[in-house]
Amino acid sequence: MLIVEELTKKFNGYSAVDKLSFKVEPGRIFGLIGPNGAGKTTTLRTVLNILKPTSGSIMFENKPITTNFYNHIGYLPEERGLYKKSKVIDVITYFAELKAIKKSSAITLADEWLKKMHIERYRGNKIEQLSKGNQQKIQFITAVIHNPKLLILDEPFAGFDPINQQEIKELILSFVTSGKVIILSTHQMETAEKLCEDILLIDKGKEVCSGSLKKIKNDFGGNNIKIRYSGKITEISELEEVKHIDYYSNYAEIELSPDATPNEFLRKIINRIDIAEYTVIEPTLNRIFIDLIKQNSTQN
Amino acid sequence: MNKIFAIAKWEFLEKVKTKTFIISLIITPIIIISFSVVPTLLGDQETERTKIIGMLDSSYVFFDTFKDEIEKLRLENNQLAYVLINLTEKNKSNQDLIKNADRRIMQQNVLGYLFVNSCSKDSIRVQYRSQDHTNFKDIINFEAAFKIILIKNQLTKMGYNIDGFNFIDDQVHIEQVKIDSSGDEGKKDFLTVFFSSFIFILLLMMMVIYSGQMLVRSLIEEKSNRLIEVLVSSCTPDELLAGKILGLSSLGLTQIIIWALIGLSLIGGAVVPPEVFSNVGIMLVYFILGFIFFTTLFVGIGSIVNTEQEAQLMTTYLSIILMFPIVVAVPAIQNPDALILKIFSFIPFTIPSVMLLRVNVSDVPVADIWLTILILLLSTILMIKISAKIFRIGALMHGTKPTMKEIISWIKSDV
Repeated sequence: MLIVEELTKKFNGYSAVDKLSFKVEPGRIFGLIGPNGAGKTTTLRTVLNILKPTSGSIMFENKPITTNFYNHIGYLPEERGLYKKSKVIDVITYFAELKAIKKSSAITLADEWLKKMHIERYRGNKIEQLSKGNQQKIQFITAVIHNPKLLILDEPFAGFDPINQQEIKELILSFVTSGKVIILSTHQMETAEKLCEDILLIDKGKEVCSGSLKKIKNDFGGNNIKIRYSGKITEISELEEVKHIDYYSNYAEIELSPDATPNEFLRKIINRIDIAEYTVIEPTLNRIFIDLIKQNSTQN
Repeated sequence: MNKIFAIAKWEFLEKVKTKTFIISLIITPIIIISFSVVPTLLGDQETERTKIIGMLDSSYVFFDTFKDEIEKLRLENNQLAYVLINLTEKNKSNQDLIKNADRRIMQQNVLGYLFVNSCSKDSIRVQYRSQDHTNFKDIINFEAAFKIILIKNQLTKMGYNIDGFNFIDDQVHIEQVKIDSSGDEGKKDFLTVFFSSFIFILLLMMMVIYSGQMLVRSLIEEKSNRLIEVLVSSCTPDELLAGKILGLSSLGLTQIIIWALIGLSLIGGAVVPPEVFSNVGIMLVYFILGFIFFTTLFVGIGSIVNTEQEAQLMTTYLSIILMFPIVVAVPAIQNPDALILKIFSFIPFTIPSVMLLRVNVSDVPVADIWLTILILLLSTILMIKISAKIFRIGALMHGTKPTMKEIISWIKSDV
């Protein structure tokens, strides 16, 4: 388990990260989300021991993260790049060696991973000869080849086509079952929603909300409904219980005002339009993200 | 420690395989050789030939005596250095004689001729007329021969038997002998001092510039593709720096050794006097410390700049600092105890090169040596600390170049 307590990182007096606390449990993917410049990268860099925190503590398996821990960390940075002029097999073995794997076993592991990723035919090619997607695969391999205990993935799906995204997703899920501690940082709310069990939303270096995805949705949701109908939508869109409505040709998504309940609302509208389907829907993480960040910026 | 070697190995092998490295390995010696060896070869050919010189002397006083003197000079293989031909003909005016003689030069019958113009009691005026400007050594030889003749004439007039004074003919070479504090004499002339210091200073310069630029380039590459983040999450920045410096300086050393081998096999070892290496221990200390000092400086700079162009500008300034000893070299050899030289030998930036020069030229006090090594050592440690700090922050930054104020705040900060 990774436990971060009261983490603060200041640059020239400005707090990039401000008293951030969170726990990452093994076997669950932890989603670190937030708008651009929220302090995600700084947080990740302090966890990675690249930057020293101004104050606060970072503990992994009850021990502070020190230089001894480097060999157990896997990191896939947001912006990708590799030594373009070097050979695929050389680059992978170099990064494995930097994680204290012996050269001979590094080559064996590299070959296994190239096969797993279906790119073994590029083994002897130079990086620059590979497509962007395949270069990304190489970088992914370098992040996981040493079987790290703590895996930090910053936008792991960026730059992949849907088929490769699926492949990477399955790999990440296989790491979950093998009990790794995984932090996933992303802007893609759909990805976070599908993969992460726990979420930490930060903005301006501070926590905006945190907890399991279920709990967050419960806290924010319950008052969204979706109806399939026939009739005039204006009959209901002007009702006072409707806070926000998105309507299409034969269905609408409605956010109810906080004091209205879906049951009462159903009773009220059942005589006004013909309802083919009535569902209570959970808010999407995307909706929660936008609402919370807007709310946060108006408060400040 | 293993990671340092892994990084060093990577930097070395990946660079050694590049086309740039292989090309510079071949091209540089070709340039150096064409600049240094070709003129030497040309010069050598000239001195190896007997020169045919004419003499126009209407007084008929000097031809025989001059011929005796000048034909005493021999080439290395005991061949005559000069052959003297008499161009004087009776019953002809000087003007006609000159015209004839000049024609013979044009026809390349003679290389040049001596025209003894007027002859008073104790002085003569001599012209040397030739198509090209002659080697100044020839002129020195001619002047010496005339001087001897005049002295002999003088002595004969004064009634001495000149047979006893033949020793005057023997030319005197002044050999410089430097006395060490131990009382031993070190046989060193200008050339030896020049070579022994310059070989080290030039090597230092070449290695620093070469490895430094490689270092900056590799840092810029890793910064722009953000690999640096992956690297510093795998090892400490200090390990990364040490690995890079180790790898790239071995690369520089490899290159220089190959150049030296090519050079020596072509010019031959004889050119470099063996005395060059008499101070080699102490010189190596300055060399290695100086190398580390400047290379870490390059690292600091490499972490600040973002583009190759910026890097080039910065490395140019650094190279100028390294060139400095060339400027002071000649005055330093002439006056090794000059105050200004002593001052420069206590400034970290100039210690390596100035001291490389000083230890060879004069007997530097042991206290000076220890003090300069201490200063250099401390400033190298300080430079490593500063550069590592700049590197830790600068390496992760990109976009605009930081201001001096920001850099100072990085150095002060506890990263």
